Amino acid sequence: MKLIENIPDRKLLLFKSCMVSHEYPGVESATRYVFDRLGIDYLVNDEQSCCTGIGHYTDLFEGLTTAAIAARNFAVARRCGYPNITCLCSTCYAVNKEACELLNTNDEVRDKVNSVFREQGLDDLVYEKGDMNPRTNFYHAVEILLSKADRIREEKQLDFAGTRAAAHHACHYYKVKYLDVVGNPENPQLIDTIAAACGAFPVRWYEDRTLTCGMGFSQLHLNKNTSLQVTKTKLDSLQRAGVELMLHMCPNCHIQYDRYQPVIEREFGVEYDMVHMNIAQFVALSMGADPYKVCGFQTHSVPLEGFLEKAGII
Amino acid sequence: MMPLMPHVNGYDTPECKTLAETAKKSIRTPTSLGLDRCIQCGACTASCPAARFTDYNPRQLVKKVQENDRSVLESEMIWACFYCYSCNLRCPRNNSPVTIVQVLRQMAINEGIGLERLEYFMEIGEVLAENGASKVPGPGVRNMEKDLGEHWIGFKRNLESIRAELGLGPKDVRNTNGEVRAILEGTGYFEREKWIKGKLQEKRLHEFLNVRCEKNEDKSGEFGFETDREYPGQEAFIV
Repeated sequence: MKLIENIPDRKLLLFKSCMVSHEYPGVESATRYVFDRLGIDYLVNDEQSCCTGIGHYTDLFEGLTTAAIAARNFAVARRCGYPNITCLCSTCYAVNKEACELLNTNDEVRDKVNSVFREQGLDDLVYEKGDMNPRTNFYHAVEILLSKADRIREEKQLDFAGTRAAAHHACHYYKVKYLDVVGNPENPQLIDTIAAACGAFPVRWYEDRTLTCGMGFSQLHLNKNTSLQVTKTKLDSLQRAGVELMLHMCPNCHIQYDRYQPVIEREFGVEYDMVHMNIAQFVALSMGADPYKVCGFQTHSVPLEGFLEKAGII
Repeated sequence: MMPLMPHVNGYDTPECKTLAETAKKSIRTPTSLGLDRCIQCGACTASCPAARFTDYNPRQLVKKVQENDRSVLESEMIWACFYCYSCNLRCPRNNSPVTIVQVLRQMAINEGIGLERLEYFMEIGEVLAENGASKVPGPGVRNMEKDLGEHWIGFKRNLESIRAELGLGPKDVRNTNGEVRAILEGTGYFEREKWIKGKLQEKRLHEFLNVRCEKNEDKSGEFGFETDREYPGQEAFIV
């Protein structure tokens, strides 16, 4: 289990996420805003590439390519002196952490990756065993926020008292490397604790809380009906629990719930009252950030205006 | 004659005598994989979103692997997993059906199965090489446009100005100095992509020539699956 007291606030490489960049850029700007306000030492480095997650989990990229791309990103992180890779996307987190473990423990794969680097004239990317530590160099941005929950409580300018908020903790954060999670992977409470620090009322348990979002990488695209049935199951449960705000930590889940909630309403003849945002956007809002210029809510599909009006923000 | 598969995914699918050995040696599965320790308790199936809404059954799939039943590679079932890792978390014996099924899909791909599914996402390789970032591939964008409509299309058009307003770079293009492309070339990814494209072309030609001679063979085995029975397929396969 990861201990909160061991989570660093220095030398964090804020790892760019493709899906955040393309769909919810406000997640990145809100995270930066909160990190700046909390005095966290982080860097965004444009040399860092995609983790390969989308291609890896749609079976397009094989493990060797994924490991080699990860090793390159580790070199980028070490070179700039910010070796604590901190992800906005749960799949980036899992892919990087697993690749690091593989590179440290599988001599054959590490040698092969390094020989690819040398053949391509990329000697400075060579990865030596132990260059990175899978347990202490990889974080999700939510873990950083959680470690600062007390500061967030002090810094908050808006009170979300009475807002019934529920968390969707992303599968690839707590089900892949489940021994290395903050808290109990059967009942993760990271987002709930941060939401409570912002003054919201966390609905800490609801039916099917640990059910996946339904995106399933290829499933949304190739088996859409099944994919949306999974998503609908959780939305139904949240509706029964009287949840008004669903908080996310992964752009893939965020797309699935926010973009497809209106599609599910249309295709299944249902109606939902929930709105969606990333936990970093919620923290930024509570600290007084602009909903559009910092949180980027204009890229969301489920309109947030009703929620923002009720909270007295707009 | 089909071109030989360039064994780019040799680390995913090491050649072994049995499916179980390949699964254990694959780099897709954890080194501590408890495949032999499986007690067929069904915790995986009970936790599985695909099992809840389709006939997918990870417990049964693990049994097939233990029995070295290679027909599993031809079953539609292996393509139903969401990769959510709930079975990985819940298994009391440290088994990991979700990573075993990743190995099975790679083995199926080696035999030319499921390539149409890969074709849907194929654009990701070149986009990653060129931009250092991934995106939803073209067919996915077309499906999303249909589902999400004007608002989504409109915001995508304005993405650059929205990003600028948020203080982010106008486009998500990474500065990888061609290193990502060199890596994809070095690992053999592009060879694999070429092989898949060639194989698909060959398959389509074959289908075109034999369309009247072919029997409608049921490949679903005993694993019934919604796509076998009812699912009409998606237009988006036409890339």
